[in-house]
This record gives sequence, C-alpha cells and structure tokens, in this order.
Amino acid sequence: MNARQVQKFVMRYLEATDCHIVEKHPAYVTVKLSPEADKRLTNRSYYWSFVERTGAPPETMTFTFVFDPDKLKAEAEAKQRQSEAKSRQSAASPQASQLLGPSGQPIAGDSILSRYFGITPAPLGTGRIPREEVTFGSKRLLQLFDVVKAEGRHVQLFEEPSAADRRSAESSGYVSYLMVNVKIELACDMKRDELHSFGVDLSTGELHESFIETVAGKKLTPRLPPRVYIARPAVSLTRARTIVEQHVEKLLKRYDHSWAAAAHERLMDELSRVDGYYEDAVKAAGDEVRREVEKQWNKRREEIDWQYRPKIRVSVINGGLFHLKRP
Amino acid sequence: MHSPSTEHVRRLNEHLDIHFDRSWFDEMEARIQKNGPWDDRTKFELAYEAEQASLVRSFDELLCLAHIPQLKPLPHQIETAKKVLHQMRGRAILADEVGLGKTIEAGLVIKEYLVRGLVRKVLILVPASLVLQWVRELNQKFGIPAVAQKKEYMWKTCDIIVASIDTAKRDPHRDIVLGEEYDMLVVDEAHKLKNKKTSNYKFVLELRKKYCMLLTATPVQNDLGELYNLITLLKPGQLGGQGQFAANFVVGKRLPKNEDKLQEELAKVMIRNRRSDGEMEFTKRVVKNIPLTLSPDERALYDGVCNFVRGRYEESRGDLGSMLSLVTLQREVCSSRDAVFVTLVNLFKKTAEDSPLRPKIWELVELIRNVKSNTKAEKTLELIRAIGDKTIVFTEYRASQEYLLAFLKERNITAVPYRGGMNRGKKDWMMDLFRNRAQVMVATEAGGEGINLQFCHHIINFDLPWNPMRVEQRIGRVHRLGQTEDVHIFNLSTVGTIEEHILSLLHEKINMFEMVIGGLDTILERFEKQTSLESSLFKMWAEAKSDEDIRRQLDRLGDSFRHIREEVEQERKERARLGAILNAVGQSVPPEAEVNP
Repeated sequence: MNARQVQKFVMRYLEATDCHIVEKHPAYVTVKLSPEADKRLTNRSYYWSFVERTGAPPETMTFTFVFDPDKLKAEAEAKQRQSEAKSRQSAASPQASQLLGPSGQPIAGDSILSRYFGITPAPLGTGRIPREEVTFGSKRLLQLFDVVKAEGRHVQLFEEPSAADRRSAESSGYVSYLMVNVKIELACDMKRDELHSFGVDLSTGELHESFIETVAGKKLTPRLPPRVYIARPAVSLTRARTIVEQHVEKLLKRYDHSWAAAAHERLMDELSRVDGYYEDAVKAAGDEVRREVEKQWNKRREEIDWQYRPKIRVSVINGGLFHLKRP
Repeated sequence: MHSPSTEHVRRLNEHLDIHFDRSWFDEMEARIQKNGPWDDRTKFELAYEAEQASLVRSFDELLCLAHIPQLKPLPHQIETAKKVLHQMRGRAILADEVGLGKTIEAGLVIKEYLVRGLVRKVLILVPASLVLQWVRELNQKFGIPAVAQKKEYMWKTCDIIVASIDTAKRDPHRDIVLGEEYDMLVVDEAHKLKNKKTSNYKFVLELRKKYCMLLTATPVQNDLGELYNLITLLKPGQLGGQGQFAANFVVGKRLPKNEDKLQEELAKVMIRNRRSDGEMEFTKRVVKNIPLTLSPDERALYDGVCNFVRGRYEESRGDLGSMLSLVTLQREVCSSRDAVFVTLVNLFKKTAEDSPLRPKIWELVELIRNVKSNTKAEKTLELIRAIGDKTIVFTEYRASQEYLLAFLKERNITAVPYRGGMNRGKKDWMMDLFRNRAQVMVATEAGGEGINLQFCHHIINFDLPWNPMRVEQRIGRVHRLGQTEDVHIFNLSTVGTIEEHILSLLHEKINMFEMVIGGLDTILERFEKQTSLESSLFKMWAEAKSDEDIRRQLDRLGDSFRHIREEVEQERKERARLGAILNAVGQSVPPEAEVNP
C-alpha cells in the first residue's frame, strides 16, 4: 500500500463510522472520532464503561493522522524559507538581525539550557491534538486492519432494484450467492499466501471465481428492497462449504508442490541429524539422566516437525449472502 | 502446533495435508438462524483490502522492509537477515563484531516472520540492563509491540516479551516459561551460555522454540568447546556428537583441525560480519597537550589540598582503604574549585565536631573563596572559540560540569550536559540537541551504549581520568568507524601538579592517545591484578619524596604496562588462527557502514 492507498483506506473507515472530519489536507487529516471509532481505536475501555454507567455525555478524541510525512515536511520547509526570506528583507536594521553563535546557528535566548533547567516552559505545540504518522506498517494502520477484519466478517446484502424495475408490475427475479473469501496459506519454515473470492450460486451449486469483483460495481443495500422476493436457497450452507472445499482441493492438486517436497526433505535431514546426536548421547548417559536426555530428544524432534513440516491452511476471512438481480 | 476443533484435514499428497478452518461457516450458520446481526459493507470491503495488502505473495522475498519505512538497514544487515531466513531457516548464531548492528539484524528477522504470520509468540532473553533498550528499539525502529516482562501474568498475556534470563529461570516464572511454546527465541549476549553446566544453559536447552537466534560478538572466548555448546543449543548434532566433534575438529583448547570442514559447518549456522579491518581504516588522532600555569590563588589552593592529603595519608600510615575520599580530593583539585568544594564540604560534615581536622578543612574552603580566576575554563573557552565547530568537553566531576555549563552560557556558547544518571530519553534528547543546535557538549560519562558522536571531531579533556580504559572510552565515542575527519584531542594539564604526571604516563609511557590499543581491557585486567592502577598511582604520589622519584616510578609503571601489552599481543596472534575460521563465516563491512543511532 502506498501513501495514497493508505489514506483512502483510512478515510473510508472514518466515514463509515461517522467520524467528524475537522481538516482535510492532501497529506493529512484531522478528525474527531465518533464514539464507535473512539472505542475501537483509543484503548479507553475504562473511560467508556464510565460513560456507559453514568450516562455522562462522551467526549471523543481528536487526532491528526499524517499519511505523507515527507510531503508535509517539504511543505513546512518551503514555508519557513519563505518567511525567512521575508524577515531578512524587513530586518535591515542591525539590531533586528539575529545574534549568531560561533558555529553560525542563532542563539535563541539560550532556550536549550533554560528549558533543560525548567526555567521557561517549552512553547506549546500545535495544541493538544495527538499527531500520528499512519503509513504502511504503522501500528495504527495494523490496528485498523484488525478492527475491520473483526467487524467485516459476515454480511447480507441485496442489490437495489433500478427505477425501471420498481415501476414494472412484476417482482424482479433474484439469485442468492454465498460469497466466501478464502485465504490459502502454504507454510513450512517459510510461507506464501493466496487470496480467493468464491461465489456459490445457492440455487444451482455452481461456483464462480473472483466473485468480489462481480459484486464490486453493484448498488447494494442491507435491507430487503420492497417487492423483492428471495427464494429459499436450494443449496444448504453445509453443502456450499463442501463445494468450496472441494474446489480448493482440486485447485491445490494442480499446483507445483516441489516446495513441500523440499521442506519434507529438510525435515528428514534435520531429524536424522538430531537422531544421530541423541542416539550417542543416550548411550553415553548414565541411568539416572537417560530419561532426561530422551525427553530432550523428543522435544527437539517435535520442534523440528513444528518448524519444517509443510502444510496448507485454508481459512475464510469473510463472506456473506449476496442477493443479486438475475442478469 | 495445536489444531482447533473446527479444523477439517484432508490429505493432498504423501507429505502434505490441507487444514480447512470451518469456524467461519459455523458463525455464518448462527447468523442466518437469527437473521443477523450483519456487518457493515464498507468494513467488509476494507477487511478484504486489508488482507490483500498484507498478503505474503512469495516464499522468499523480504517483505518487512515495506513495513518499516523509517528504518534504512545497511546492506550487510539485509544480507544477513535474508541468509537467516532462507538458508539457515530461522536458526542462527549472529556473531557480528560489536557495532555492526546485531539487534537490527535480529529485528529484521523477527519482523519478517511476524509479517508472514509465521511467528506470534516471541521470547527475547537479554541481560537485565539491556531489557528496556531492546524494547525501545523493537518498538521504535521496527514497530514490533514488544514489552518488558514485569509481572508474572505477562508471560501468558503478552506475545512479544523481553526479559532477563535470570528472572525467567527463577520460580515462579520458570515453570510458566517452560510450559509455553515460543515461535521465536532470541538470546542476546549468548556467550554467557558457553558453559553447559550452568543453570542458564540448561534453562535455554529446555525451552520449546521453533526459530532461534543467538547473538554474541564473541562466540569463542577461550576454547572451541564453547562454540560447540552454543551450536548444540541451536542445532544439536550440527558438529556431530561430543566425541565426534573432539575427534574431528579439536587438537588443543584453542587449536582447531580440519579447518576447512569446520568452517563449512560453521557457515551453516553462524554469520559473522566484521569491519573490513582494522586499525588502518581509522582516521588520525591529533593530540595536543596544553600545559597551563596556575594563577597564584589557584596554586595556593592546590598546595593547600596537597599538604592536607599528604598529611592525612601519613597519619593513616599508608592504609589505602580509608583513603578513597582523599584520592578524590587530590584529583578534583586538578579539575575545578567547584569540584573540590563539594567534596570538602561533605568531608567537613562527616568529621567530628571536636576534630582538629575541621579547622584545617575550613582553611581550605577559605582558600577556595580566594580563587578568582579559572585558568582551565578560560583556556577551554579560548579553544572552543578557536575550533568554531562541534566540541565535546569531558570532565570527571559533576560540579565541574555544572560550572562549565554556566561559564559557557554566560559567554554565549550553547552547551548541553550529558551524564550517566540521565534516563535514556534525556540522553537521546541531549545528543539530538548537540547534533542539531548546540556547539558544545559537556559530558561526565563516556561509557555506556549508543553514544555515537561521529559528527563531532574535537575533544577537550578538561581533566583526565586515571584509568586508561576511561580515556579510551572518551576518545572512542568520537574516534570510531564512520568518523571521516581526523580527531583532535586537547589535553589540559596544569604544570607542576599531579595531572602533569598522569598525562605523561598516559601519553608518553602508554601512548594512549595516538593509537587504538587492541585488547586494552585484557592488558589492564592483568596490570591491575594486585591493586588498581588508580590506587597504585595515588600511593606512588603520596609517598614520593621528590619529582625525580615520581618520574622514576612512572617509568617503571610504563615499562610493566608495555611488557604486559607485548604478552597480550603474542597471545592474540596465537588466537588469530581460530579467529580466522570464525571470520571466514560472513562478510566484511566497509567502514562507512557503522551503525548510526
């Protein structure tokens, strides 16, 4: 994700949770969180339980999220250069020019020391709005990822009828699909993932790939539109699950699994190394410690299995029921 | 290692299973039954995007770099991380020389595994003094949510935990920690695990771990067995069983055989980057001793203190034990009147009210009051002005430091303090200020981690420590790899005082300033076998009849230092053969690749 994509992502979350955008800038946004977003993002469970128990009006937090720190910095520097140039022009008299220290930097009333000794308070910054860089890999973005992953797992959506549909006397025909977005993880001591979006037609059991793209452009609503009739699905959820699992299995059968063969070979190599070591060690061990050594041996074998054994994990990240107009 | 109950397993081929996680379907079923609640569409789409963005698309590309845009690892660090991940499969000894960034390398590997979802639970065992530093680095540089272990429950609730091994191996922690399964175990300063009979070693051996990194700059200190023990923690059997190892690779304690084969085996588990060596790559040290003549009022104070100290010393009949404060006094008087004043006042307070010493001490305090000039501070100011560039001034005493800060401030020179007692954050802040805003740093401490001041190449030794190690530490803060300029060192010494002799010992006899002495710590350790250098110096001074006497004694000290040094160099050569094997494992790093703070 680049800075623009991160920004778009965050803005969509903020808007979806009804946050109040205070200031919008190409490089940052200042936002007063909605109660919902505040609860998810600020880690103030104690405060929120207080609000809920006493009925006190909640005061949510305001943040400035910086998406493009470099751009912002460049802008600030340009501004400073401008104002410096201006002040140089206006400060023609010698009194107004700054006192320069021996290495050329201005001496600002010795503020470093006085601040260190606590004589003058540090100048207040931009108020009390916490400022955070939200870039790919930042803690805040990871937190947002986790929040949406937890709260966007199961949906039911209906395609909105067009104006023409609404006018026509007949009720529109709808087809129900189960969308299942699947993450496939191929793991040994290293790992690679794939993401698939399947749609199972719940009347026929037919499976469509890249289903999320099929749905992407459509106008969807969480409420059943008027005069729309949804037929009871012919395919049960359990059956749909089997269809998806069988499809994934077929898909995976066709893959080149030399990675797993190589991992298995490593696993065997490592096991024989450990076995070689401990066979000697057990022989050399006295009766009283032999059991200890054997226990250790076992532990090492388990660890190696854990580390190298190739396996494929298939899990559903999210999905739901999509009722779409018959094409 | 465990599978959830909602898992459905299908065999794909002879050694590959597919594990289907069905928990989503169960929840879906429940929601359909109750007709909701249904999640929000935008969040649904964002969740898909989030998964897409964090997808691991290939087995072997280094993903973590995209996640840590604020960190720019050096080429050898990235190289090392890749090697640990792809060749060593997450079990490695990182044995870089000091200062090349073992922590960064370990951080990269941990981050990569976290990003790939191969690691969740991490245990990092480090010496107690480094716990917070590790936590800080992982948090700030890598965005890894590591925490310092404080409470017992944290072993279970925190995924990424930094703790001292001494805490972890003790009850009640021990059983909890041994009961956990760690996806990644990191041990810093791992040479402390060289002896397999220690409780530390046994503890680490018992831990359950998937991946493991052992960090040490000195994988072998005394004999090859140490290396064998370390590797056994990591990969038992890599060098064969104990007997095979001895038969195949060992001649004597420090003498390996079958060196090529040993090297080959080592390269499979150990990475050792080192500086592309050595002493040649350093810039020059330009030393200037500045003799100063004390003004009459300062001279009076100096003589007063000397007489007082000699008097006390004779009274105590050479018992050095009780002489600590006298040693201090004798040294402080060479630094500043402020320094000596603080100690005198404390001494006065400690002396019984009817003691005959009290008036004597008071006389000295009166002498201090008469001192109007400060020859050293004036000279320092003059030097700083002439240098006109970043300068670090070292003093041994807090009082001198404060005096200097005030003195410079009155004369419009921006200076920041630095001392050992400051907490980490403040130290960082002071370094930042020195780098960006202040011309001068006045420091009382040179040791410690993470003080890299390569942007400065002028040092003023306002006073000199009596311990050569501390002198080297001072210079080493500035004169290290990454320093591109010659380093100028100014030593202030007052003529006709003990300082003059110390300087002559350090400079002429030990040749401390002009070259980097390899193994200085070893030399000093042997040198100080009986008594510390500091107390023998003091004794010599207190007992000397004349200046001539002192000079003779100093010559003797210098000779024995030189002798030990030759001895140590000889041993280093013997050890070089073993070192060469270690060094062949890994690459050498150009000098500009020093790790910056």
